[in-house]
Amino acid sequence: MRLLVSALFATLALTAQVPRLTDVQERRLTNGVRVLLVERRGLPAFHASLVFRGGRAEEPTALAGATDLLARILYASTWPEDLEGGRPQVALDALLKQEEGLLESLRLERLRELRTPGADSHRAALEAGLAAVQARLQEHLSPSPLADLLRAQGGRQSAEATADALVARMDLPVEAFQAWCRNEGQRLRTLQLSRFSGARAALVADLRDKAEPGPALVLGAALPGHPYGRDLADHLPTVEALRWSDLRAYARRSLSPERLTVILVGGLSLAQVLPDLEKHLGTLPIPLDREEPPLPEIQASLGDRRVQATLGSTPRLLTGWRIPPRSHPDHMPLQMAAQLLGGGSASRLPSHLVRQKTLAREVVLRMDLPGGRQAGLLLVELEPAPGHSLAELEAALHSEILKVQQEPIAPAAWSRALAQLEVDHLRTLDEPARLAWALGRAWAEGGDWRLLDLELQRLRTLAPETVQAAARAWLQPSHRTTARLEPSVADGQDPLEAEMSRVLLALAAHRVEDLAQREHLVAEGLRQLRMLSPDERRRTLKLLEAQLPPAKR
Amino acid sequence: MRALLLALVATVTLQAQPRSHTFTLPNGLRVVHLEDRERPLVRVSLLLRVLPSDTPPGRPGLALLAGRMLTGPGGPRTEAMDRELEAAGIRLDTTSAPEGLTWKLAARNREQDRAMGLLAELVLRPILNPQHLAACRADCLRDLFKPGANPADRLRETLAWDPADRPTEASLLAIGPEDLGTFQQRVFRPERATLILHGDLGPEQAKRLVILNFGSWPAGASAVVPAAADTPKALPAQPVLLPRSGPALRIQALAPIVGDLRPESLALLSLLVPGDPALAPLRATWEGTGLALTLDTPAAGGREAWALFFGRLATLAQRGFTPMDLDRARRSWSAARSLEALDPEAQLAQALATLAGQTPTREALGALTLKDLNADLRLWLDPSRLRVGAVGPAGTLETLAIP
Repeated sequence: MRLLVSALFATLALTAQVPRLTDVQERRLTNGVRVLLVERRGLPAFHASLVFRGGRAEEPTALAGATDLLARILYASTWPEDLEGGRPQVALDALLKQEEGLLESLRLERLRELRTPGADSHRAALEAGLAAVQARLQEHLSPSPLADLLRAQGGRQSAEATADALVARMDLPVEAFQAWCRNEGQRLRTLQLSRFSGARAALVADLRDKAEPGPALVLGAALPGHPYGRDLADHLPTVEALRWSDLRAYARRSLSPERLTVILVGGLSLAQVLPDLEKHLGTLPIPLDREEPPLPEIQASLGDRRVQATLGSTPRLLTGWRIPPRSHPDHMPLQMAAQLLGGGSASRLPSHLVRQKTLAREVVLRMDLPGGRQAGLLLVELEPAPGHSLAELEAALHSEILKVQQEPIAPAAWSRALAQLEVDHLRTLDEPARLAWALGRAWAEGGDWRLLDLELQRLRTLAPETVQAAARAWLQPSHRTTARLEPSVADGQDPLEAEMSRVLLALAAHRVEDLAQREHLVAEGLRQLRMLSPDERRRTLKLLEAQLPPAKR
Repeated sequence: MRALLLALVATVTLQAQPRSHTFTLPNGLRVVHLEDRERPLVRVSLLLRVLPSDTPPGRPGLALLAGRMLTGPGGPRTEAMDRELEAAGIRLDTTSAPEGLTWKLAARNREQDRAMGLLAELVLRPILNPQHLAACRADCLRDLFKPGANPADRLRETLAWDPADRPTEASLLAIGPEDLGTFQQRVFRPERATLILHGDLGPEQAKRLVILNFGSWPAGASAVVPAAADTPKALPAQPVLLPRSGPALRIQALAPIVGDLRPESLALLSLLVPGDPALAPLRATWEGTGLALTLDTPAAGGREAWALFFGRLATLAQRGFTPMDLDRARRSWSAARSLEALDPEAQLAQALATLAGQTPTREALGALTLKDLNADLRLWLDPSRLRVGAVGPAGTLETLAIP
């Protein structure tokens, strides 16, 4: 009864305090582009987010990395040469085509050198040819960073590729709105991608130095065969082989008007923005190929999966549960469960595992990894305190999950979680970029920005029993994937894994001609083998080695 | 009618822009109040400046360790306090950086009294518990040296430090409870602090809250703890070379922000340098602590890559910028000021930077000559002032040397 009264009180308090998203105005342009406007009168600036639904999850395997590349090339800067049509564009296109040919020839030549060392090499000639073309290309490119049309007007921009969307974010003074609109229309019409080669090289270098392989490991094991489980670092050869013209063709399909929502927050009114938006973005052509690629369903009950690996600098336990997509009725109760488990220093896991039992040094909890459009993961990452093992930590985590599922939720913990969600919501409303992202994400993941409002209403009527029921239904062993990560000794790989990689590569070399496919197969093989215990891995290694010719063992 | 409309527009505009008031308490605490009634939220930021002279000779890492003890597990935030903060929906983050310790909080306006009370409790009665010294020291060492971490990450972390100030295991081990006590006495003083309040509270309310919670903070006597002399800076350090397997070489440098660079030059160079084609294929990114320059290349030609790296920097330094570049950068910088209105956190940061004299004024920017700008560019990219390093195969690293 006390719990009920407390929950009721908290709900009433929340209803009275939290503003709703009534000030979002929505319009559709002629070609299907959605526009959401949140007017903040008197602000001298505006934030714009362009959200293209799709993201990494919709990339075909042969174009892995395309969304990341588009984010880097198309939306990291706004160069005038990328917005020009007519003759300058034809000349730039011709040079980029030449560069593409030479880059591809050079890549194949490097592979040929690896395959047949000592053979005659055309590498030097190709490199010289590429340097000459790139020098000519440079003549077409802007000579100063302040030639960037956005930066010149005091603006800033950034872009991000997520599992469910490509998001470009821009902040600009209000006076620059018209020019911004014109530029965005022209950017999407031209799709010049003039900085392709530099951006591709930078992406490859960043993937090589990727800092956090733990979550990727869990995702790969928890969501096998699904694009959500794909680790781009395993597709380096594909990224290196991606061509300018292929990326451009992909951009024409994936950045089409009906996949785009423009979100504006700032000192702009609908009457002020609509004519320009219609003129520049509403006239973007609709591609003929409008079919959206179907995403495979993710089965939640794949059994309790385990991964063991040696990587990183500290031991860590990562446990992920496959949870339903954001549009599912159980998603909001699970978000509340996550808040109760790890939403603050006084929440259950930090309080019990870090402070009271001193088993863990740190707890990190994440929802909807890598996205929320499909079933993703609720991931708990724990670092053991000195003197405690990963096994101890795992047992303690399971016990805490069981308590959330079975023991009554303390009214104080419930109202703490609600209070924090309320302040988070207020901050979202207060910060234009954060509000735009929340609206864009709700649309990209749930199909409608109103989901943001709906979730808030659901939160108001949520009962602790519903949260516990959802926790029982989804945070169960058959939905679980656990990774135990032991620290690597130095910079190097786990010796067993290094040996396994060598043997798999040698085996694949016999059977698969294409190098990109070969490396992908090896990465996938390693991922599967990590699910075995070290003993099983050693035995598998012996069996695999036996299949190699004696000289290669 | 027209006048009425104009007045209405002006009122609406004024409502959207935070009104600013500045005052100083008798104990020396400087306060900036930015009134913004749009939403029922209050944000507070408190910065305690840490100076290089707060670290005595032989104790590099003292500020880092003290910061860790104040912000990390086992610090002054007890579980009871965390419960109270979370029950009230107050978000409070504490961070430690070379320039100082910062507390940032966000709360609903109805919780402003409680929020300020809890903040004052943390700042006025800091607890540097010697029992946590060993654990915090171990954490610092782990964060600094990142054993087993990706070599590229370790390089980045190493370059972020001035070699003269970078703590070592020995310097951290040498720090005892007395050092921490002295540090606390020296730094935790109202005249070292700046408090920014932003959001749904009026000037009188802001003043009342500040006086009530921070008015009793006793001003420190500056003569109590004599300032240690600044330690002389080390000579240009040798490049940091970290071996790693794989076919790629990364050369990286950090051009730190140093005191002899004009703030207005830095403001404009941070717009002009990242993305300048003269640097290609180097990538330049503005990182807040300085300019990070990175070259990723196949490991085969290490020596050539090294020469290319410094060659590109020399080309840019010699070429410099044109009057047109200077004008464009000035215009871009001025136009960008309006963007602060979009981000309350940026408004707080800007208020702090302005009080610290780190933000160039429009007048200083207008007075900056092209000669000064290019002189500062050369100074900034001077190879002897750069912190340089590389990660790559051991064989390739052996071939590298400072040109």
